[in-house]
Amino acid sequence: MTARLIRLVIMSLILPLAALSGCGSDERAEQSAGFAGLGQDAEGFQQAAPNQALTFPDDFPHEHAAHPDYRIEWWYLTANLEDVSGEPLGLQWTLFRQALMPPSERPEPTPWAADQLWMAHMAISQGEQHQVAERFGRSHSQAELSQSHDAQAGVVASPFHAWLDDWQLQASADADDDAFSPLTLTAYSGEGASRFGYTLELTAEGPLVFHGEEGFSQKAANGQGSMYYSQPFWQIEGDVTLNGETKAVSGRGWLDREWSSQLLDARQSGWDWFSLHLDDGHKLMAFQLRGGGDDSADTEQGAAYRSGTWITPQGDASPLATDDITLTPLATSTVAGRDVPTRWRLEIASVAIDLNIEAPHANRWMDTSVPYWEGEVRVNDRASGEPMGEGYLEMTGY
Amino acid sequence: MTTVLTTLLSHYRRHPGQLVMLLLGLWVASALWSGIQAINATARDSYARADALFATELDQLERRDGATLSRDEYHALRQAGLPVSPLLEGNVVTQDGTRLTLIGIDPLTLPSENALGQAGTSSSLTAFLTPPWQTRVAPDALTALGLERGNAPGATPTLAEGGKLPPLTLSPALPPNTLIMDIAAAARLLASGEAITRLVAAPGALTTAPPDYTLTRATSLASPGQLTESFHLNLTALGLLALVVGLFIVQAALGLALEQRLGMLRTLRVLGVSGRTLVAALSLELLLLGVIGGLTGIASGVWLARWLLPDVAATLGSLYGADVGQTLSLPWQYWMGGLAVSLGGLLLAGSGVLWRAARLNVLSLGQMQAWRSGFRRQLTLMSIAGGLAAAIGLGLTLWLAQQPPGDGLLAGFGVVAALLLASALWLPPLMALTLKGLTHLARRRPLTQWALADMQLQLPRLSLAMMALLVALATNLGVGSMVGGFRVTFLDWLDQRLVAPLYINAPADQYDAIDTWLADRPEVSERLLTRRSETTLLAIDTPDESRSLSLAIDLYGITPGESLTPHWPLLNTLDDRPSAWAAFDNGAVFVNEQLATAENLSPGDRLTLRAPNGNETLTITAVYPDYGNPSGQVLMASHQLAARFEAPPSSMGLVLHENANVEALRNALTTRFGLSNDAISDQREIKRIATEIFERTFTITRALNVLTLAVASLALLASLLAQARSRRQQLAPLWALGVPRAQLARLNLAQLGGAALATGLLAIPLGIAITWGLVAVINVAAFGWRLPLHLFPGEMAVTLATAVGVALLAAALPALRFWRASPRALLAEETHQ
Repeated sequence: MTARLIRLVIMSLILPLAALSGCGSDERAEQSAGFAGLGQDAEGFQQAAPNQALTFPDDFPHEHAAHPDYRIEWWYLTANLEDVSGEPLGLQWTLFRQALMPPSERPEPTPWAADQLWMAHMAISQGEQHQVAERFGRSHSQAELSQSHDAQAGVVASPFHAWLDDWQLQASADADDDAFSPLTLTAYSGEGASRFGYTLELTAEGPLVFHGEEGFSQKAANGQGSMYYSQPFWQIEGDVTLNGETKAVSGRGWLDREWSSQLLDARQSGWDWFSLHLDDGHKLMAFQLRGGGDDSADTEQGAAYRSGTWITPQGDASPLATDDITLTPLATSTVAGRDVPTRWRLEIASVAIDLNIEAPHANRWMDTSVPYWEGEVRVNDRASGEPMGEGYLEMTGY
Repeated sequence: MTTVLTTLLSHYRRHPGQLVMLLLGLWVASALWSGIQAINATARDSYARADALFATELDQLERRDGATLSRDEYHALRQAGLPVSPLLEGNVVTQDGTRLTLIGIDPLTLPSENALGQAGTSSSLTAFLTPPWQTRVAPDALTALGLERGNAPGATPTLAEGGKLPPLTLSPALPPNTLIMDIAAAARLLASGEAITRLVAAPGALTTAPPDYTLTRATSLASPGQLTESFHLNLTALGLLALVVGLFIVQAALGLALEQRLGMLRTLRVLGVSGRTLVAALSLELLLLGVIGGLTGIASGVWLARWLLPDVAATLGSLYGADVGQTLSLPWQYWMGGLAVSLGGLLLAGSGVLWRAARLNVLSLGQMQAWRSGFRRQLTLMSIAGGLAAAIGLGLTLWLAQQPPGDGLLAGFGVVAALLLASALWLPPLMALTLKGLTHLARRRPLTQWALADMQLQLPRLSLAMMALLVALATNLGVGSMVGGFRVTFLDWLDQRLVAPLYINAPADQYDAIDTWLADRPEVSERLLTRRSETTLLAIDTPDESRSLSLAIDLYGITPGESLTPHWPLLNTLDDRPSAWAAFDNGAVFVNEQLATAENLSPGDRLTLRAPNGNETLTITAVYPDYGNPSGQVLMASHQLAARFEAPPSSMGLVLHENANVEALRNALTTRFGLSNDAISDQREIKRIATEIFERTFTITRALNVLTLAVASLALLASLLAQARSRRQQLAPLWALGVPRAQLARLNLAQLGGAALATGLLAIPLGIAITWGLVAVINVAAFGWRLPLHLFPGEMAVTLATAVGVALLAAALPALRFWRASPRALLAEETHQ
């Protein structure tokens, strides 16, 4: 008994060690290969390129599933909700996939052998509260997957099911096999009074939207980019549990799907990414990658590279060019010991909008293994100050 | 100053024997002491590594039916929201035959504070998770893998069965003999397929166990450090004893060296050397000797520790399941501490010398008689000090008598130490008194009277060596009786518990089939199924009080059939044995002596235990001895354990009819159920293993014991040799008066033999008292079991013979010299006088 216990204890020894030995090299990796190593060289992986145009409905539903030959991929949902008393509430659920090696170096799919590393994040924010949880998992892309119990994590297209443990986004029981709507999302963390999580029903009220050139979204002046589409039209109903208390919520959600093998240029240090629901029914996605742009800026990293998509209430998308977008940080807040811009000015010349975007609560730091800022924002017209909408802002590399 | 020191040291050039004796004493004392400290330091380092994160120990989830867990079961539990992580455990054998524990983990789900402080992009995590994977190993295990530390990182050693370990990464914080790697790599090496050994979860993360599973909380289990504390205390006590005996030698040698240099010291004082300078020079001499003796002692101590460590490690492993490294790991404090103890001891031993040198009377002459009157004062002081030690010992004994059994390990050692000290201090006064009485009696026999009077004169110098001999003899006797008594008791107990000639150790889910099959075999007369489980003791109800606690205990189920119940040893029953067994069959429990001692339980008390379907409250009807088990155990009938605690089967004993063909049955079982070779063991094999463990447990005790006795004998020999020359001076006049040489030599032998015999005789009752202290106080506190007091007259006779033998041997050399001395030399002695 004692011997067994000692052995168990040993277990907990190894991880801090791994973490310690990992730290140093990590920081260097971040400096040389962009945020979280996303600028690492991706030799041996399949590359996202303009010639892989996504078409609807031919490519679906299978593009909803994982693309294990690409290095990185995510299923990224953010939602601006209100509880029954009208109090705003934000939430996030993300499933990240990372290939551990190029397809040619995959190990045999023996039990436990993995070629895919999975990471999931969930967050619920209301007022000053910001609850975050993180999970990890492994799978082998070539292992037989006839039921979800065959793997700890995975995504299958039909019927749609994305899971890591009990954190699951899947086609609702009454949906058609190939349908991407309605979906049910469940994720919980903690016990008793500190328990938080949600069970939500997501219904799409518009079509899928492809960014960039038919789904190829360029991320740097040198032509690197990712495959990127969204479902920005979710109507959401459900229950959120916070501090052990459960309440009904409803509101709007935005799901991003993106995969690539080299998202960032090695010179890019991070990004500022907006997904906005405007009150008139338009949706706006805009981002800037800091560095990696053209050489107009007189810095080593190059100018910021900007891009975006203007989406009509019907779901027609127009890509926005880098010089069409002006993005100016107006004020910063100190969060988790870092200075993070939490008030921005966003101008889109081609559609003549000039917006003030502000995070009402600055403490939306995601203290996860890859730390970043992710939180709700309010949108106002810069000239009149009139409220114009809401959305989510993600900032990395600060 | 230098001149003074050189002059002082020149004494040793003329008497190299004294220098050798001094250094020998210091060397032996510090070698034994530092050897034991080296063993303790190494063991503590190993525990610390295992203990380092004891705060994060884990809860365990296992299948209630004892069946193997599988990977899809793990996924299903995760997908039901249970934060469990898989562990795969197994053994691999290196090419030199060492068995290493291999543990496969999933770092992604293993609970740990901030487990993945690294991004998924971290190179170290990727290397751990992906081919060729990594083996994390403590440097201690490298020898077994046939590697040097320098070329170990990245090496891929081949195992006995041909498999290769993934590239090694050194993790000094890991316990010895443990390999850790990703579960995928471990599953490949162990060819375990989809199987998992156990599921673990962060403490408290699971509120209840899911149906079909049992949850074992990582509650108040003692760490190996706590469990083995008593063992190390035992070792330390022995080491301290060796140090004291060694210092006895040192003091004797120093006293002699000073005595012989008194003239020189006076001359130096008369020449104008101040008393302060003299004391400083003597201190410097002590320091010099201390550093030389201490350093050589420590070096030999490390060698000694290296020699004993494998046995100590094996003992700790088999007794407590604690892994201790086979290579010494010594922090710098160890070296400093060893030297400090040697120097401190030397200073203590030499303080008397310094004190006398400081108060040196320039005018008085060295006189035996003056010395003697000083010795009388000393005897009085010794008697008083001895009385004080005895009073302390008595007080401690009285205090201990009022403590619950199992407490007071330190006090137990205190009693033994006080007893030893008192006896040692009383020895010289007692001998002086006896000699005085005998001299009075022998007044009609002049030669005997002379011999006794001469003995009184020798006593001051001999007393220290005799004291050392007494302490060593008594300890030797005490420890010897304890070990011997334990051996007798243990082997008896083993015979009583192992009633079946064959034992089956099969996978838990096969027992039903095996049982059904065996039921029809004519040669099997009884099947003794055992079950094992673990639970938490929640409450104790005694007639006086009722208290709740949370103590992890083992549950053990046996089949109380006609072959087991008559022999199973019981210490204490509620009524008589038959009614205890009848109650046992109906759901009463027995508890082992360790648990009874630790929680102060007796038959009739009631225990509340956590059970899968609510708590169970059960009555204790007996206490049984359970030697060698460090944890508390509750025994109940196998069928009761299955019904109440859903415990899986653990083994099955087969009682066979006479003339049954054991080999045929064994083969039939192996082929019928596809059992591995070591799944069936016979009684002889089990006894052999148990006895081996037992023997190893006491190897160190015995080795140290013999060494201590050897040191004491050396002390006696050294003191006698040192005064051999002066003996000739004493004997020469008698020869000149016409006493034949042979008679003088016999007289000399009789003097010393008599003194040793007296010491040995005193050592016997003292040894018995020490045995009592060991079995009734120290063992109960240290191990949780009490042993019957066994005495071994043969061993006592040997002890006595050893004492006399050593003394005669020591006296023989001077006697021989005297025998061989030419008449001229003897006459010269006379004129010299």
